[in-house]
Amino acid sequence: MNDLVPHIHAQLNEVLGSLPYFMPEVYLTVLFIVVLVTDLLFGKNSAKLCRAVAIAGMFLVVFKDLQQVALVGTYAAPIFSNMLMLHRAAINFKFVIDVLAIILLLYFAWDKKLQSHKKGLSDLYSIVIGSVLGLHLMTMAINLLSIYLAIEMVSIASYLLASYRTENAKSTEAGLKYVLFGAAASAVMLYGISLMYAYTGSLELFSKEMADALLHTNSLSASFALALVLIGIGFKLSFVPVHFYVPDVYEGAATPVTAYLSTLPKIAAFALLVNFVSKNGFFLQWKAFDFRLVLSVIGVITLIGGNFAAVWQNNVKRMLAYSGIGHTGFALMALVTFTSQGLSALTYYLFMYGLANIAALMLANYFENNENITDISDYKGLGFKYPLASVCFVIVLISLTGIPISAGFTGKVFVFSAVYGVYQQTHDVWLMALLITGAVTTVVGLFYYIKIPLNLFLKRAEFLPNEISYSTNLVVFSSVIALLLIIFGVFPDLLIKFL
Amino acid sequence: MNILTLLIFTPILFGLLILLLPSSMRASFKYITLFATLLQLCFSIYIYLHFQTGASFAGISNEGQYQFVQKLPWISLDLGTVGKMQIEYFVGIDGISVTLLVMTSLVMVIAAIASWEITSNLKGFFALFLLLDMAVVGVFCALDFFLFYTFYELMLLPLYFLIGMWGGARREYAAIKFFLYTLFGSVFMLLVMVGLYLSVKDPVTGNHTFNIIHMMNPANYIEGSVFSVLSHATILGMPARTVGFVVLFIAFAIKVPVVPLHTWLPDAHVEAPTPVSIILAGVLLKIGGYGIIRICMGIFPEVALSGAFWLGLLGVISILYGAFNALAQRDLKRMIAYSSVSHMGFVLLGLASNTAEGISGAVLQMVSHGFLSTMLFFLVGVVYNRVHDRDIYNFRGLGTLMPRYTVYVMVAFFASLGLPGFSAFVAEAFTLAGAFKSHSVNGLLPYWMAVCGSVGILLSAAYFLWTLQRMFFGTVSLKGGDIWKVALKDLNMRETVTLLPLALIALALGIMPSLVLGKVNDSVLALVAFTQNVLR
Repeated sequence: MNDLVPHIHAQLNEVLGSLPYFMPEVYLTVLFIVVLVTDLLFGKNSAKLCRAVAIAGMFLVVFKDLQQVALVGTYAAPIFSNMLMLHRAAINFKFVIDVLAIILLLYFAWDKKLQSHKKGLSDLYSIVIGSVLGLHLMTMAINLLSIYLAIEMVSIASYLLASYRTENAKSTEAGLKYVLFGAAASAVMLYGISLMYAYTGSLELFSKEMADALLHTNSLSASFALALVLIGIGFKLSFVPVHFYVPDVYEGAATPVTAYLSTLPKIAAFALLVNFVSKNGFFLQWKAFDFRLVLSVIGVITLIGGNFAAVWQNNVKRMLAYSGIGHTGFALMALVTFTSQGLSALTYYLFMYGLANIAALMLANYFENNENITDISDYKGLGFKYPLASVCFVIVLISLTGIPISAGFTGKVFVFSAVYGVYQQTHDVWLMALLITGAVTTVVGLFYYIKIPLNLFLKRAEFLPNEISYSTNLVVFSSVIALLLIIFGVFPDLLIKFL
Repeated sequence: MNILTLLIFTPILFGLLILLLPSSMRASFKYITLFATLLQLCFSIYIYLHFQTGASFAGISNEGQYQFVQKLPWISLDLGTVGKMQIEYFVGIDGISVTLLVMTSLVMVIAAIASWEITSNLKGFFALFLLLDMAVVGVFCALDFFLFYTFYELMLLPLYFLIGMWGGARREYAAIKFFLYTLFGSVFMLLVMVGLYLSVKDPVTGNHTFNIIHMMNPANYIEGSVFSVLSHATILGMPARTVGFVVLFIAFAIKVPVVPLHTWLPDAHVEAPTPVSIILAGVLLKIGGYGIIRICMGIFPEVALSGAFWLGLLGVISILYGAFNALAQRDLKRMIAYSSVSHMGFVLLGLASNTAEGISGAVLQMVSHGFLSTMLFFLVGVVYNRVHDRDIYNFRGLGTLMPRYTVYVMVAFFASLGLPGFSAFVAEAFTLAGAFKSHSVNGLLPYWMAVCGSVGILLSAAYFLWTLQRMFFGTVSLKGGDIWKVALKDLNMRETVTLLPLALIALALGIMPSLVLGKVNDSVLALVAFTQNVLR
C-alpha cells in the first residue's frame, strides 16, 4: 500500500496538470448539471429557461475552445495519462461542433411537433449538452478505451434523441432501429478493440508498443481487428456499407433531431477517424492494412451509393439522408490525403456541410410546419407562396451541390486541391478515382437537389391561402445561414485561414 | 474605379435594387433593367473607343499587354509546406475579348427590350436577368481561372430558372437538360483547373496561381507536375496534357455547341422565352468559342495543334449536320437553333486552321452571329407573341400582311446565309480562306474540309430561302384564319427601334469589317505566333 503513495501523488499531479487543457469539457460538465438542475427546479415550464441557460453556457464553451488555441499552439498535448490528446485539429473540430450545437439548440424549439410534445423540451437540452461533452471527448480520444467510452456516450444521447417523440410510431421505430444497429456496431467495435488489446497488450493508439506489436502480429488478424474498429467508427460516419439505418432513422426522428444526427456525430466521428489513422495511416510503415486504399475504396462506394440512392427519394428528409451519405464519401476524400492541408479542407468542408444541412432541414421543417408536407412532390408551386424561404432553400441546396458562389463550392475546391496535391506526388490511381467520382456525383447531386427548386418554382399549382405565422424564426435563421454560405463562398479565407 | 469592374458589376447593383424595391413598383423594373444595360453599353463603347491597338497591345500570353487591367488579391491561403494558394480578382481584356464585350453589351440591351413580353413574376425575372448579365460579362473579362470558373458556373442557375419559369410547355425538361449538360462539362473542368493550379507557380511570388496567363507559359510549370510540358505525366494511361485539353474542350464544346454534344440547344432555345433565347444564342454560345481560344488553345497550344484535324472535323460535322437539320425543321425557332449550330461550326473550323485569317474569321463570325442570331430570335418572338405559333407551315404570304416585318426578316436571312455586304459573308469567307490556306501553310487541315464548309453555306442559303418562300411569299393563308390576320400587326415602334440598329450593324460589319478586325488583328497574330512557337 505504501508503495503506491508516490504513484498517487504523481497521478494526481498528472490529473491536475491536465485540467487546464480540459477546461471546455469541465464547463460542459458543469453546464450539463446546471441544465439538469434547472429542469428539476422549475418543472414543466422550464423549457425556455433551460434553453437560455444551455445556449449561454455553450457560448462560454466556444469561448473556452478559442482560449485553447493559444494554450496549445502547434503542439499536441497528451492529457490524463494518454487518454486524450489536445491538438490544433481537435480544437477546430470542437469549435465547429459547438457552433453547430448552438444553432441546433436554438432550432429544437421551432419544430411544431417537438414543441407540442407533452414531456416538454427541458430533457432534450440536457441530453444535447451531455452529448456535446461526448463529442468533445471523441475529437480528442487517443486511447481505445476513451474512444469506446466517448462513442458510447454520444450513442446513448443519440438513441434518446431519435426516439424522443415516443408517441409517434415512426419515431419509435427509428429509435429502436437505431438502438439495435448501434448496439450491434458497438459490439463489433468492442470486439475489434479487445482483439487489438490482445495482440498488443496496449490500449494507447500512439504508443510504441502498439505499433511494434501490430507489426509483428499476423497481418490478416491485425487487419481484421482494425476493420472491426473501423466499422464501429463507420457506423457514426454512416459510410457504405454501414449506412443502411440512416434513411429510416433520419425520416422517423423529429426534423431538428435529424439535423443533429446528420451533422454533429458525423463531424466528431471524422475527428476520431483522423486521430485513429494519423498514427496508423502514414507514420506506420506497415503495408498489411493500407488505410488510404481501404478508405478510398469506401469513399468511392459511399459517394456512388449515397448519391445515386438519393435520386430515387421523394421524401425530403430521406433524400437529405442519402445525400448526407454522399457527403461522407466526399469528406473521406479529404481525409485520405493524410496531410495538414487535407485536414483543414476536411474541417472546412464539414463545417459548411453542417451549416447547409441544418439550414436545409430547417427549411424542410418550415414547410412541414406550415403546410404539413414532407414529400418533394408536394412542394409544387410553393415558391410563390413563400418566396423568402424558397430562395433560401435554393441557395442552401446550391451550397450542398457545390456550385459557385457558395461555401459548398469553395469547400469542394479545397478538398480537390488537397487530393490533387497528393496525387501529384504519389500518382495513386485511387485518388484519381476519387476525384473523378467526386466530380460525377456532383452532377448526380444536382439532379436530385434541383428537384426541390423545380417543384418550388417551375411547377405551378393552386393553393389555398392560409395564415403564415408560426415559423418566422426558422425562415429568418435559415436566411442568415444562407447569407453566411454566400459570404464564405466569396471570401473563404475569412474562415479557412484559422483552420 | 476600374472600368471593367464597373462593367461587370453594374448589372448586379441594379439587380439588387430591383430586389429591394417593393413589388408594387413592378412596372418600373423593365426600365431599370433597360437603363442598367444601356449604362453597360456606354461603358463598353467607351472601352471600345479607348482600346489601343498595335503589336505592343496584343495580349494573349503577355500579361503586360492586356488593357484596363485590375488585379486585386482575393483568396490567399498559407498551405504550409505546399506553398501558398493565390487566387486573384484579375480582369483585363485583349483584342479577342473587346469586340465580344461590346457585342454582349448590345445584345443585353436588345434582350432587355425583348423582355417587355414577360408579364409574370417580374421581380424574379429581371433580378435573374441582371445576375446572368453580370456573369456573362465577367467570363469575358476574367483572367484568373478561378474567377473565370466562378462566373462561368454562375450563369447556370439564372438560366435554369429563366428557362424553367418563363419558358414554354416543355420548359422543365429543357431547363434541367441544359443544366445537367453544362454542369457535366464544368465539373471536370474544375478538376483540370485544380490540376493546372497545382502545376503552375507564379514566377514572381513563387505561389501556386490560377492566373491564366501564367498557365500559358511552359516555363512556369513546376518540374514533375502533372500538366508540365516536360514531365510527360499520364493520367490513367493517357498523356496528361491531352486529357486536360480534351476535358476543357468538351466543357466548352457543350456550350458552343459542337455536334455530338449539341442536343440541349434546340430544346433550350425552343422552350426559352424570347429574351433568354436571344442571350443564349447571342452570347452564351460565344462563351464556348471564347473559352476554346483563351483557355484550350492558350494553355494547351501544342495539343490544340496536334488535334487540329479533329477540331476541324468536328467543325465541319457541326456545319453540315446543323444545316441539314435546319432544313428539316417545321418549327421556325428550332430551325434557327440548328442554324446556330451550323454557324458556330465555322468558328471551330476557323480556329482549327490556326491561320491568322481563320482565327480572325472565327472571332468575326462570333460577333456577327451574336448580332444576327439576336435579330433572328427577336423576329421569331414577334410572330410568336402575336399568335403563339411558330410552325412554318401555318403561315403563308406574311409578306403582304406585314411588309416591314418581312423586310427585316429578309435582311436577317440574307445576312445569315452569307450574302456579300453583310457581316456573315466576311466572317465565313475568312474562315474558309483560313481553312484552305491551312493545307499549304501548316498542313493541319485537308482541302476537303474547306470544301465541305462551303457546302454548308450553300445549305444555309437553301433553308433560309426555302423558309422565306414558304412563310412570306404567295397568297395570304394562315392556320388561325381571320383571328390571326387581325393579330398579326406589323412591327410597332419598340420593335423597329430594336431591329434597325441590328440590321445596320450587320451591314456595317459587312462593309467595314475593320471595325472588328482592326481590334482583333494584333491579338490574332500574337496567338498564331504563340502556337507556332510552341510547335518548334
